[in-house]
Amino acid sequence: MSDDKTSLCIRCPKGCRLTLLTGEDIKIKGHQCKIGEEYGKKEAIEPERVVPTTVKILGAKWPRLPVRTEKGVPLDKIEEVIDELRDLEINAPVKKGDIIVKNVADTSVDIISERDMEVKR
Amino acid sequence: MIDVVVVGGGPSGLAAASELGAMGHDVLLLEREDELGGLLNQCIHDGFGTILFSESLSGPEFADIFMNRIERAGVKVRLETYMRSVEKIEDHFVISTVTPEGVETFESRALVYAIGCRERNRFEIEIGGTRPAGVFTAGTVQRLVNLYGFLPGKQPVIVGGGDVGMIVARHLYLEGVESLLMVYPEDFFSGLPRNAQQCVLDFDIPYKPRTTVKRIFGDKKVKAVELVEVDKDWNMIEGTEKIYSCDSVILSVGLVPYSEKVEELGAEIDPATGGPVINEHFETTVDGVFSVGNLIQIFDYVDDAVKSSYTAAEGVDRFLKGSFDKTRSHTVLNPGEHVKTVTPQRIEYEGKDEITLFFRPGVEKENVEVRLLGKNGILKSFKKRYVRPSTLEDIKIPKSVLSGNPEVVIDVR
Repeated sequence: MSDDKTSLCIRCPKGCRLTLLTGEDIKIKGHQCKIGEEYGKKEAIEPERVVPTTVKILGAKWPRLPVRTEKGVPLDKIEEVIDELRDLEINAPVKKGDIIVKNVADTSVDIISERDMEVKR
Repeated sequence: MIDVVVVGGGPSGLAAASELGAMGHDVLLLEREDELGGLLNQCIHDGFGTILFSESLSGPEFADIFMNRIERAGVKVRLETYMRSVEKIEDHFVISTVTPEGVETFESRALVYAIGCRERNRFEIEIGGTRPAGVFTAGTVQRLVNLYGFLPGKQPVIVGGGDVGMIVARHLYLEGVESLLMVYPEDFFSGLPRNAQQCVLDFDIPYKPRTTVKRIFGDKKVKAVELVEVDKDWNMIEGTEKIYSCDSVILSVGLVPYSEKVEELGAEIDPATGGPVINEHFETTVDGVFSVGNLIQIFDYVDDAVKSSYTAAEGVDRFLKGSFDKTRSHTVLNPGEHVKTVTPQRIEYEGKDEITLFFRPGVEKENVEVRLLGKNGILKSFKKRYVRPSTLEDIKIPKSVLSGNPEVVIDVR
């Protein structure tokens, strides 16, 4: 029994069209490199995505601070991640790479700031 | 007198200025906003830097690398400084700017334009109907959402399947809009496949290929659009019109190089790219005036735009040192069959170095041959597995391949 899925590889701009053969043995077709094969295997079992979004920041030049998950989180956790950040308010200043939320949505992945945000003069 | 003024503090301008500064030149970078980074500041998604740094960075993270380089290279930066006009007087440039303190003038020996592109609007793609509030370009929405936290509406329709449209679609979906629909005239999304996957397909966002918006309805605010199916040449198919309720329309329908400023200085514009004609060092047809990034043509990846700045910086360096020895026998590069644009458009310097030629295919096709045709036939040919109009292609060749040919045509078959 195999349950074939397709996925467009997201690991580089080429975007190879992968076929994920998820029978007893996971096999990937359509990739052009090792990174693509690894992505495909991961995608077949538990797809992961980096989630970029913004949170409210007070006292800064902009009202929103761009943040992202430090690495991929399970695809089906994305909406929980966004929900957890929805009502969050933080204060300036923030440095690029600062941890904004630890272990977001119980994924054991942190939310980090994408940039420095100084206090508004 | 400044050695070189770089106009525009986006990725291409930052890269050009930091390279030139690192070479030891006296560099002034002008930016009209009150912070550097340009478009990168609103591109909060990851995927930048995979070519240059083998790392998937967000826009602000990518910009940060170059802001640090700018600082280390001793580049002088003027924010909130808008370049109003430039005049070439003898062998130098007089740059008139508007700043919060008033009009200010700078003089330089060379100029690098890195002023990017603008988004096409509804009138350029001939969407009819009324003119209510609630019609946005995708980049404007990205800015409103990511920097200000404003949503354009609760029931948006996105027109166009380009990258910005798809990225905005994901963001609006995750922010919890009530309804969302993407329409585009192609058979599949024209942006990068990875964005189709992680922005649209991942979330089952509804989309309609071979469809466009014919008219917009609404008195003060957008109330609905008239959708229409199109054939493979994008002609509307009569009788397929359907009214669809929505409260906003977001256009992701292409970018146009912002070439008016460089044209004012007398630079020749390539009607195919919409940007200035350049040589292999990104120098325009006006000596000492260079252009980089999306002003030349719309690059698919910021990494490639930045690489264009590195090549241009080498050219500016040679120009400033006076070691720019132009041959009088140029090679002009022209698009042939199934090719829309070619850059650079001309090769002006003798040399053995390798150059990168960019071309935009005019056809979607698998297993193609890309040929360089000179006066005595094929100079070189390359195989490509798959080309399509929405993906800018490049080929690398030793410059010597072209020498002795006044015209070289690139075609795809």
